[in-house]
Amino acid sequence: MLAPERLIATRVAAAPDALDATQWPADAIVLRTAPDEAVVLAIVDAAAVSDPHAIVARETSLFGAWTDRPAAVDLLGRHCDWELPQASRAFAQGAVAGLPLKVWFDDERVLFVVAAPFVVDFVERCR
Amino acid sequence: MPEFARLMARESLLTARMRRGDTVAGGTHCLAGDCQNCLATIDGVAYVRMCQIADTAAHCAPQFTPEPLPPLESDGDRAATPTRAIHCDVVIIGQGPAGRAEAETARATGLHVVTLDTRDGQDVVGIYPGPLVVARTADGMLQVYPRGEIIVATGAAEIQPVAPGNHLRGLVTSRAADELHELGISLGTTVAVGTPPSTAPSISAAGALVRFEASASDDTRVGAVVTRSADGTEHCHVCDTVALGLGFTPRDALLRMARGMNVRGFGDVLRTADLPPCPESGTVCACLGVTVDDLRSVHARGFHELELVKRATLAGTGPCQGSACVPHIRAFLAAQGAALQPPFTARPLTRQVTLGEIAAGAHHVATPRTALDAEHRALGAHMERLGGWWRPWHYGDVDAEYRAVRHAVSVCDVSTLGKMQISGPGAVALLEHLYPLPIASLKVGRSRYALLLDERGYVIDDGMICRDGETRFTLTFTSGGSTFAELWVRDWAESIGADARILNQTASLGAINVTGPLAKQLLERAGVASPPAFLHHASAEVAGVPCRIFRLSFTGEVSFELHHDVADSVALWRRLMELGTDLGVRPHGLDALMRLRLEKGHIIVGQDTDFDSTPRRLNHEWAVRLDKPAFVGRHAVARTNAIALDRQLCGFAMDGQAPAEGATIWNGETFAGFVTSAAWSPTLGHSVMLGWLRLVDGELPTQVTIDKRAARRVPTPFFDAEGARARA
Repeated sequence: MLAPERLIATRVAAAPDALDATQWPADAIVLRTAPDEAVVLAIVDAAAVSDPHAIVARETSLFGAWTDRPAAVDLLGRHCDWELPQASRAFAQGAVAGLPLKVWFDDERVLFVVAAPFVVDFVERCR
Repeated sequence: MPEFARLMARESLLTARMRRGDTVAGGTHCLAGDCQNCLATIDGVAYVRMCQIADTAAHCAPQFTPEPLPPLESDGDRAATPTRAIHCDVVIIGQGPAGRAEAETARATGLHVVTLDTRDGQDVVGIYPGPLVVARTADGMLQVYPRGEIIVATGAAEIQPVAPGNHLRGLVTSRAADELHELGISLGTTVAVGTPPSTAPSISAAGALVRFEASASDDTRVGAVVTRSADGTEHCHVCDTVALGLGFTPRDALLRMARGMNVRGFGDVLRTADLPPCPESGTVCACLGVTVDDLRSVHARGFHELELVKRATLAGTGPCQGSACVPHIRAFLAAQGAALQPPFTARPLTRQVTLGEIAAGAHHVATPRTALDAEHRALGAHMERLGGWWRPWHYGDVDAEYRAVRHAVSVCDVSTLGKMQISGPGAVALLEHLYPLPIASLKVGRSRYALLLDERGYVIDDGMICRDGETRFTLTFTSGGSTFAELWVRDWAESIGADARILNQTASLGAINVTGPLAKQLLERAGVASPPAFLHHASAEVAGVPCRIFRLSFTGEVSFELHHDVADSVALWRRLMELGTDLGVRPHGLDALMRLRLEKGHIIVGQDTDFDSTPRRLNHEWAVRLDKPAFVGRHAVARTNAIALDRQLCGFAMDGQAPAEGATIWNGETFAGFVTSAAWSPTLGHSVMLGWLRLVDGELPTQVTIDKRAARRVPTPFFDAEGARARA
């Protein structure tokens, strides 16, 4: 059973060029959720973002659950109807089990990221 | 769902029963899933084709007649039917010779091919836009999404006989006779009508089929078949089994269903349907018991089109979906002089599925929970879905919750409010465009209540605009409106090219409202020595939790909205409850909040507003500044303000208990409007209401009847009109 835990994260809304150019913390997973927004699974210093008007906010509402890739592919095959990315490292977001999810494919592992308001439903629906 | 047959490995439940001599239903068995003659209720699932499921010991004894109706599934002990999605290049439905050849060809070109065949355990029920192919399997529902084409190679079905006695046992199609023979199942003396079986021994009966006659020893089983030769002579052939080779009709229901999509037929599914002789008597549609006489009857009443005949007789609407009857109805109509008509439109499902299978993969919209959800439940809250969230309606004592707010201090989880940050050099211009009141003049650290209007000048949401910096703002929206509000703001930002960053923090930030005459005391205990003044906001630690404190009021009392990271919600909530114990702090739910805000005359967008509520109709003209040169809805507001007012949201008071929300308002004998919000006011000692009231000759009536009781129109707020308590 998946047991999501609260993630340490930062949400950044900034000009797309600034997001493209930002040097994120080493080894941080960066989920580019929109051209002008990124979710970084690390603490990010606002000064690191070159856009002076960027909104850099600590994000504590995200929960994450890692699982191995075969288990993730099985789960996604049962609970989502969109095609999974083929690349070994990739980010996707969409409905999984009817819930809004972000999915990070990282070589042999996969991270499911779910917002706190849906954690209970996520665990119930994906067990 | 019963396991589908894998006939290469083991035989079907139907053939196993035939081998054992167990009872099987009458009618012409095709062993191919085309007819309805082997339908039974298996393991509690109705309309299962016994020729399509494997013979396993797990099966309960089949029930052949689901009387009066098959059982509806309950959601009791039955587990949800699982679903699985597969993405591929090509889907090939049917794995006969044609389907296998197509699969080989496609695979040779390197395509990812998915093949589906009932005999391999995948029973395709439909093709839908997407494109999407849905199949039932032993493991649940399979959803296949091809990037390329769908190839239907389902072959052709054998035509069923229509003649008196076609309900008897002992009738099989020619292909079924061959299959039974190959399985080593004895058919006894077999007479073949039409094309004889290829391998099964049979005696050919020349001439046209006339009727089947029951056996002298068993009136449910065939004992002879009668044919008529060209000269009109009838011939009776005594037999144990009749093998019927009456021609073929393509199994093209899936093709007909998928018109307009990237779907191609291959093989026999494209063949021209054989046309049987016009039926003379007997049952045409065994599923619904429609006879040749029924066809004549509806034809005589003017139903000459195949689709109309279907509707008039219901022939073709049963479990076999016309596979058995359509060739004969077409032949019947052609014989009446009409042009040969194509088969009718395929229905969305070509096979029977259970309610569980229909629902497989579907999810109800999840209702989000705030970070304090478990706290509320632990406190015994009655939770309701409100504004799109699970929220506490009350904690068991609404009056006590109300009194805590009016006379002491209370906390309320308002995390569900929409919360958005806007930043950038274009932020002011964007908000000036979005809101009907001045933004540039709003000082840093100050907040302002604002309506959100659409282009027609109708109120679509409301909330606070809080200026955090020269180019940075926090906006709040209603709980139910926050998602739309984000789309609205983003859409307008793009439309006007505003250089602004937008971050929706509704789920990221918790919010606890500390409200009541002792709210300041509680905040002081939590470490806030100088809380912000009314309509001001500031950042501070509250009980060790970094917060942004917004001073406003929805309850009519001193209120501080504490926005904080959701990870800190539980700690902050608990600490506030501890610190305020001797102040009489207790949480209040929405039931109490509805009373409190109503006493203040505060509207709730969506409850007190209608789809065409203008600020003037809402008595909120004060929230619109038409001297602003431009904002969304300005032209519409200016235009409609010039039109005579027809109705307005008004306050009402009446003695006794509050009427139901939605109660009608009467001006004498004339309908005058309806109540949108109503509550008993413990403070005022009477009921207060908001409601829509029609004007009469340009005037709002002052005395009305609500719930058959006298009520009076009164100005709002009902309580503390000067707002002294909120500003204290």
